[in-house]
Formats: sequence, C-alpha cells, structure tokens
Amino acid sequence: MTRLHPFTLLTIAGALPALAWILPAPSGGLAMATLALGLTASRGLRPGLWPAVLTAAPFWLFLLLLHDVPTTIAIGLRITTMVASFVWLVAALEPARLVEAMVAAGWSASVAYLFAATLTAVPMLKARAQRIAEAQRCRGLSPRGGIASRLRALRALALPLVLSALHEVDERALALETRGLRPGIRRTTLAPPHDPVVERTARWVLLLACPAALIWRLL
Amino acid sequence: MSIRLLALIPVAAAISLALSAAVDAVALPLFLDTTGTILATALAGPAVGIATGVVTSAVNTLRNPTFWPFVVVQVIVALYAWGAARAGLFRSFRTAVPVGLALGVIAAVTSTPISYLVFGCTTTGGIALTTALGKALGLSPLGACFFGSFVSDFGDKAVTFALVTSVLHALPRRTAARFPWALRAIGVA
Repeated sequence: MTRLHPFTLLTIAGALPALAWILPAPSGGLAMATLALGLTASRGLRPGLWPAVLTAAPFWLFLLLLHDVPTTIAIGLRITTMVASFVWLVAALEPARLVEAMVAAGWSASVAYLFAATLTAVPMLKARAQRIAEAQRCRGLSPRGGIASRLRALRALALPLVLSALHEVDERALALETRGLRPGIRRTTLAPPHDPVVERTARWVLLLACPAALIWRLL
Repeated sequence: MSIRLLALIPVAAAISLALSAAVDAVALPLFLDTTGTILATALAGPAVGIATGVVTSAVNTLRNPTFWPFVVVQVIVALYAWGAARAGLFRSFRTAVPVGLALGVIAAVTSTPISYLVFGCTTTGGIALTTALGKALGLSPLGACFFGSFVSDFGDKAVTFALVTSVLHALPRRTAARFPWALRAIGVA
C-alpha cells in the first residue's frame, strides 16, 4: 500500500469518508468503516488499527451521551470511517513522496514547501515551548493559581515562543532564496513516484463515485 | 507573494499548533489554534492569513481528522482579523479584547452547523461535555451545540487576540516594518 502513488492514497482517504456520509445509513457507513478499518489493520495493530480505534472510541461515547442509538450508530460509523482513513493515510504516506509527486504533477514547489515546512516546524517549536516552560519555571514562574495568574503565565510562555519563531522568518526566506525557490518557477524532481495508468483510472473512478452517489441519493 | 511572506506561512501555522504545549503547561481550557492565522493576517494581509489557516487545518487533520471540516472557520477568522488589522484594532488590549470576544461569537455561529451536521456535536471532549450540559439545561439539540461551541470559542478568541496584540507590540519596529500590515494593525501607520 505504501508503494501506491501519494495521490491515490489521498483519493482513497478522501473518498471513503465522503461515501460514508453520502450512502444511506447505517449500511453505507458500515461498509465504508469496515473498508477503512481493514486498511488500517493492513498497517499492523500498533501503528494502524489501535490508534484508529482509540481515536474513534471517545466519539461513540459522546454520541451516546447526546443522541439515541440509531443516530449514534449512523454518525459513529461515519466518524470511524473518517478517523480510520486518516490514520491509515498518515501511516502509509511519506511526506517527502507527496512533495515529489506534487512537484512532478506541476504544482508549485512553494505549495509543497508550505506543507513540508509546517510538518517539520511543529515538533521543533513544541520542543522549544517545553524548554521555555522549564526556563521560566527556573525563574520562578508559577503556572498555578487563579485565571489571571495563569493567563500571565501563558503570556510569559507564549510570547518568547512566538517572537523567536518570527525572528526565524528572515533566515528561512534567505535559505529559500539561496535554493532558488521563487514563485512561478518549475522544478524537476529527482525521483518522481511511479504513477501507472491503473492507479490514475482508479482515482478517477473513486472521484466520480462520490458525486454519482450524491446524485443517486438526491434523485 | 514574496519569499518572506511565503516563509511566514509555515512558521505561523506551526505557532498555532505548538502553542498547545504552552496551554498544557498552565492548564487553561483554551485552544489558541487560530493564533497563527490571526498573527499572519495582522502582519501580512488576508491572502497569507487564509493560506496559514488552510495549512494549519491540513496539518492538524493529520493528527485529528475531525479538524478538516472546520477549515471554513479558519478562513473566516483570517478575513475578520484583516478587518481588525485595517482598522488598527490591535493597538491596545482595550480594543483587541472586545474584537476577540465578537470573533468568539462569529466562530461559534460558523462552527455550530458544521459540528451539528457532520459530527453530531461530538468534535472534542470538552465541547461535547458542554454540549451535554446545554442539553441537560433543556436547550434544543442545535441550541446545545451552539452553547458548546460558544463556551469554548468566546474566551479562546479573546485571549488569542490579546496574545497577538502582545506579540505585535513586542516586535522591534524594524522587524515589524518588514511586514506590510504590521504597523497599520497596531495603529502607528
């Protein structure tokens, strides 16, 4: 499955939840949820099925709290399909391959950069937030007490994080310029992912199945 | 779009997602997940703000897929923040906090139909519990859903606006001047 073209993986992960919402409940949702959970199970129990089940389980609990049983089953199956599809996508899709595929398909390298750069920046900034919290605690900052003191503590933690991140913008811009990343310039990929005709056809079939199912439901 | 503004988008999106670590440290019921969108808009205008909101939602979706339908809220937040920046409403807490409170109402109104129709009001644990509280208070299902969204968004957006105002005022003027909207947002240009 990981060898599938990134666009095929994205199409499957998008089409399954869409069909779960469009097709009649609960049979449509059940079929799509079974397919999505089957896909996550194909990645193994620990990286695939368990995260999907653990993420979807609280939704079932809250649905039961708010709705009757038939509504809980109908909405729960749709949410389970959505969760399982994305858990499978995250496990199967390598960001680097997606960037290569986007650039090879003629997308601007800037768009590909936006997603790749955000994915790498989030863990870096989270680690920095942790270091700032530890440093502020050493200086006597207490994150406890009433709401006003907690808000003051939040400001003392968030402000250095945001300001330090903003100061990096110039460095990043310089790095991008030296690598020739200018808007509107086409780049050539070193190893574009293989995109066979069968997969391209399957993607179109899946994409057309969603509006077709919607028209069928509406008529 | 200039390279500097392009480089700002992933940084601002990452700020939105990384601030959860700071929120966890002080144990406040806040999300601050629109901080980057509002900050990017106040610094660089609506196009950069909307792009930041979309990237934030897309990356957040990889962590929790229920975030994706709420990308509409990020776009509305960016457009609203642009209006606030044009009017120079980031000039002080006195102007920014009421604007943030109003955004909380708008965000709740926008997110309620999405939460109700797509998720049956069960997006996150905290919101689902406040929705259940609204239901126990005798509100209609849609009313309870709005109650849940309102409780979570009202204070959150006010704190977010206050935080962005703090950042804009703490930025050295020379750094702020490199971004096209920053000085106007704080009412000095």
